[in-house]
Amino acid sequence: MLEATVVKEIKSIVGEQNVLTSLEERMCYGYDSTPYAFVPELVVRPGQAEEIQQIMRLANRHLIPVYPRGAGTGLSGGSLPVKNGIVLDLNRMDRILEIDEENLVAVVEPGVITLKLQEAVEQRGLFYPPDPASLKTSTIGGNVAECAGGPRAFKYGVTRDYVMGLEVVTPTGELLKTGGKTVKSVTGYDLTRLYTGSEGTLGIITKIYLRLIPKPQSKKTLMAVYKRLEDAARNVTLIIKEGIIPVTLELMDDQTIHCVERHSHLGLPLDAEAILIIEVDGPEEVVAGQAQIIADLCRANGADSVKVASNSQESEQIWAARRAVSAAVVQIKPTKISEDVSVPRSQIPAMVRRLKEIAARYNLNLVIFGHAGDGNLHPNILCDKNDKEEMERVEKAVGELFQAAVELGGTLSGEHGIGTMKAPYLKLETGEVGYQVMLAIKKAMDPNNILNPGKIFGGEWS
Amino acid sequence: MRDAQSALEQLNHCSRCGGCQAVCPLYAETRSEPLVARGKIYLLKSHLEGSLELSPKMKEIMSLCLLCKACVNQCPNKIPVDRLVLEARQTIAAEKGISFVKKNVFQHLLKNNGRLSLAARLGYLYQHSGIQWLVRKSRILEALGRDLARKERLLPEMAAVPFRRQVPRLIASNRPRYRVAYFTGCMTNFISPATGRAVLEVLKHQQLEVLIPEQYCCGIPALSSGDEATTVELARMNIEVFHKAKVDAVITDCASCGSMLRDYGNLVGTPEAREFSSKVMDLSQLLTDLVEFQPGDQEVPATVTYHDPCHLRRGQGVAEAPRKLIKTLPGVVFTEMKEADRCCGAAGSFNLTYYDLSTRVGRRKVENIKNTGADTVVTGCPSCITQIAHHLEMAGSRIKVMHLAELLSRSYAGERR
Repeated sequence: MLEATVVKEIKSIVGEQNVLTSLEERMCYGYDSTPYAFVPELVVRPGQAEEIQQIMRLANRHLIPVYPRGAGTGLSGGSLPVKNGIVLDLNRMDRILEIDEENLVAVVEPGVITLKLQEAVEQRGLFYPPDPASLKTSTIGGNVAECAGGPRAFKYGVTRDYVMGLEVVTPTGELLKTGGKTVKSVTGYDLTRLYTGSEGTLGIITKIYLRLIPKPQSKKTLMAVYKRLEDAARNVTLIIKEGIIPVTLELMDDQTIHCVERHSHLGLPLDAEAILIIEVDGPEEVVAGQAQIIADLCRANGADSVKVASNSQESEQIWAARRAVSAAVVQIKPTKISEDVSVPRSQIPAMVRRLKEIAARYNLNLVIFGHAGDGNLHPNILCDKNDKEEMERVEKAVGELFQAAVELGGTLSGEHGIGTMKAPYLKLETGEVGYQVMLAIKKAMDPNNILNPGKIFGGEWS
Repeated sequence: MRDAQSALEQLNHCSRCGGCQAVCPLYAETRSEPLVARGKIYLLKSHLEGSLELSPKMKEIMSLCLLCKACVNQCPNKIPVDRLVLEARQTIAAEKGISFVKKNVFQHLLKNNGRLSLAARLGYLYQHSGIQWLVRKSRILEALGRDLARKERLLPEMAAVPFRRQVPRLIASNRPRYRVAYFTGCMTNFISPATGRAVLEVLKHQQLEVLIPEQYCCGIPALSSGDEATTVELARMNIEVFHKAKVDAVITDCASCGSMLRDYGNLVGTPEAREFSSKVMDLSQLLTDLVEFQPGDQEVPATVTYHDPCHLRRGQGVAEAPRKLIKTLPGVVFTEMKEADRCCGAAGSFNLTYYDLSTRVGRRKVENIKNTGADTVVTGCPSCITQIAHHLEMAGSRIKVMHLAELLSRSYAGERR
């Protein structure tokens, strides 16, 4: 436990009511959306950057690990307090400071919930596109720290494409400002990008400048069903060759379809190998034309059936299938190991084949869905974390799945981050040199290794 | 917990996705993880696995729940969080006891209608003898804390004579289509007889024979505080009374009573209990499902919005019926509010125990109501009415709150009392 004098000092910084000491409360800040959990020694809920600076200085003096945390919905273990210490809960810093309509910039604190920001800007006809699945609960701070993606990434990019500037408390307690409201900026190193996706290991983000764009006028949703996965993948390429960039190209494999149908009875075809949910957005006339082109293209190239939603209700029905996935898959087994490997788009069929082989070899339940447009797949292994023997097989399968992704020219993580769960595999993709460069940055910024230790890096810096 | 194995099984279904954060009214106000379902589930699971005691902190965390079921609805695995929290409260009550005041209220007052009437009478005397006037005028409670003074204002006005003493036990009808019993609930009986009269006024026009048997508290106040034994006893008493009445349906005007009565079957487990529960329906369901509501021809000039009580929408799956009924009234303009199904923060005595937190939840409801431009809020639960009225008053709003029955009864010209 932390020394009483340290706790007292922290209370004097943030106020007594913002320091949680009871075991029960601390336990509630020791987990995220992975199956793992720890118990921090203290939970601190700061209200401003200056308080965080003081806490970081104190943490360095006493060598206490500090773990920044948003909504705790991460899938890589990025916020887990793996080595005791203090969880820094940033939910109190939840103000939208400014929506600058002239410069198309929103300035927000890290605790703002993603959906709240989206609603606020959409009221003014603007748009913040990144849409991680957890957007109703996740915080912008968490999104930036993990560089969250989402289905719309293929057309609109990921969180990093919208972060223009940051205010960050460094691991040693300095206040750093990067970027700002200008579209162009090449002054020195691009620290904004370095911090975006740094997983809380290089600093605590306290203010974020986000790029906004005008809100698309309308959208149209289609669902195409395929007997063969290859046809679905080929269709994606054909659509793009037509010069159409859909907002979303969501893929569900046969196991996912079975699972959803068993659970939700939506009338999905059980003999299909793949379903694509395609959405296009833009001016109304353009969107209607594009939907027609896509429908014709799919029908002519192996799609068994194509449904074009004619109104928002029908579009909801189509999306219902995709939204039912997360609830449906956990009916198989309670523990969900959700991976997010990404491969070049053309390698999707090969990757799906490899994944299925791996699952068969280790006798595991595997469903695959994901974002076909950008090659980001979500192989989900359904298992029971109380079954030790099964969990060992899961671990081996996960290792092979990363290997397969890298071999096909892909990446370990498209949007969840490395965190604790993928740390042992980092070098697989970065190689020794990449690893050392990253580690050098970490060591330079956080000499005492007290900010979010145990994340990204394995080995002695784990 | 009573059935630790099955509870653990349900708790194990939590994948910790955190989706409950999006809908929990308490989380929205506090952003505090122990208050959201995911936190509570994790703590309960840890307790059942043996790594956590039922400490006073645990008791506090378990009592910080509105039981509004919003998380249950949202949960991909439909974990019955409200039930698990109730079970936890029961275990804690059994091991650590419940407060002296609550124990006496549950075990001596609720089961005895004579004593309950006396208590209500004392409340009435407090409010009408000049004592309340004196208390408020002298601001004596403010000296004891502003909170207490505000809570005092939350105390609804007691009826001079309980509703059931004002009306006959049987209201006959020519060629009745059904014979129904009216479970009046304590709120209508002791606090708001006007609601009861409106219910009878509406029923009178639907060709029904209506029985109002002597009856007891439904038991939900005791159950919410972990006193299941008292609830079971009250359930048995009510089941017996209504079994003798031999009716086609038992109707309620209170969402909380209704959801409690419908749960008697599970709680008591006897065939009589299950039969009783299957007959219970909300007034709005009776008027849409069993009989086709016939409104009067008097214009009801009002712009109306509707608040879904948690225990009606999620507790009993009734959402469309009240809206449909409101829209049948001549002269009414209906307007939907944002987050109509979000808890108002009353949650039984939660608004007394945690006044500040409940107020924050209530204010959001009031904002949503005000944004509709409606002049009248209608709902189907007397607790919600008390809470919403209180916070509208605190906000200086002149919007009226009333029970669905009261609005419906206004369409019967000149016959209204």
